[in-house]
Amino acid sequence: MPDPERTNRLRRRLITGGAGLLAGASLGALARSALAQATTELPMVNGHRNLVAFPEKRPLIVLTTRPPQLETPFEIFNDGLITPNDAFFVRYHNAGIPTSIDADKHVIKIGGNAAGKPFELTMDALRTQFKPVEVVAVNQCSGNSRGLFNPRVTGGQLSNGAMGNARWVGVPLKDILARAELKPTARQVTFDGLDQGVFGGGDFVKALDVGHAMDGEVMVAYQMNGADIPFLNGYPVKLVVPGYYGTYWVKHLSEIAVIDQEFDGFWMKPAYRIPDNDCACVEPGTAPAATRPIGRFTVRSFITSVKDGARLPAGRETVVRGIAFDGGQGIREVACSTDAGQTWRGAKLGADMGRYSFREFTFGFTPASGPHDLRVRAWNRSGQSQPMEALWQPAGYMRNVVESVKVVAA
Amino acid sequence: MNPRIVMSTVCAIVAFFLTGVVSVATYGAPKTIVLPADNVQLKPSPLPGYAKAQANCVACHSAEYMLYQPPTAPRAYWDAMVKRMKAVFKAPIDDADMPAIVDYLAKTYGNEQAK
Repeated sequence: MPDPERTNRLRRRLITGGAGLLAGASLGALARSALAQATTELPMVNGHRNLVAFPEKRPLIVLTTRPPQLETPFEIFNDGLITPNDAFFVRYHNAGIPTSIDADKHVIKIGGNAAGKPFELTMDALRTQFKPVEVVAVNQCSGNSRGLFNPRVTGGQLSNGAMGNARWVGVPLKDILARAELKPTARQVTFDGLDQGVFGGGDFVKALDVGHAMDGEVMVAYQMNGADIPFLNGYPVKLVVPGYYGTYWVKHLSEIAVIDQEFDGFWMKPAYRIPDNDCACVEPGTAPAATRPIGRFTVRSFITSVKDGARLPAGRETVVRGIAFDGGQGIREVACSTDAGQTWRGAKLGADMGRYSFREFTFGFTPASGPHDLRVRAWNRSGQSQPMEALWQPAGYMRNVVESVKVVAA
Repeated sequence: MNPRIVMSTVCAIVAFFLTGVVSVATYGAPKTIVLPADNVQLKPSPLPGYAKAQANCVACHSAEYMLYQPPTAPRAYWDAMVKRMKAVFKAPIDDADMPAIVDYLAKTYGNEQAK
């Protein structure tokens, strides 16, 4: 919740920070003169983007500088099934982000009107007083691929790189909440982090139903791929909600409140809502009659080893590789087509790293000379799959169409 | 300063801006980052809303929020965003300035851009 003192400090920093910003800018100019600005073109109208190295990050695609919103260049997904920490996407909502955190002094306040026994949890207590668990899980921005919607929708114009797969270590939220002795009136649990709005409004607070929060899978994580969580991904502690869109994965987690009602803050309502129907879709250009909060990932699959527009050797086998994932059932099957979806055959699945992880697939392709249209389509263990034609919704969430990669063999 | 010191200073500064990490967390020390400078400017315009957008919008966020919207973005979108910035985020925007800001945004970044 907004802390007026902190908001005032932020505002003062904004006003008095001018001299520092100027000094920073001239040093920045010096640094930049030594380096040409790297850029990339995302496959959308108005898709020109800069690549910049933010703290602890390699050069990533900049959606916005302030606050940082960074997209992973897609070719990185071919380097391995785990997305490196320095390549993992970044998404903030407010520019009042922390830039200095003392993890030894950081506490998570656990309270709310349905917590019988509120308490404060230090990082040391989190690491030493609970049994840690580990999960490999994909985090994906709700608006991943928004820029590829047709007709276009407004909002962050991302291509397919606002996702990543990491090994998270932390403590089940259930075990932390057990210590707070929930009252029978408990209905939802809200999560807040250190980031906040520059003028105090629109603090980023998210909520889960209490049953979900207590399912044993939702985790308060302090480690990512064997290291501290990168600063811009939520150092020193973040919520991990396996199978659910990144909007729930609150960064710099500082406050957990168990409440006896449905939380209706801006980021739960009207933000981050989807059409309340089976396909979570509407006719392009129309508004949904009713909405619900966004939830689990839809099924997705991507070829990672061959880029759209690539040239392949004719008459020789190319092993095509890619990744598939879903909202937590696990991937059962990936089919591939090399003739734009007219005929399909099974791809070979790689090692199973858990039902929340990227799953590798491969298939061999020996093309005749000429153009080819490669497509892959995944199914999860409950039979859900991907649409051949893209679904549409006004907020641009949950895109999961069967992708097309066009190649020429010569 | 001899050339070697100058060169190593430049390298240190470049390295600093490449990593942006001032202090790596060790026990008892906060971890501090320095974010890259925001060099994205709003597109200049003779419209009266340009100066008002400079005074209001980019105080809170960088101009990429406008710059990267699809050129199909209609006036209704820009109007809703400006109103949201005040109603939700408490941006101190004078109501009287809103129509000019929306006009500038729709004509500079939206579907009313000169073709």
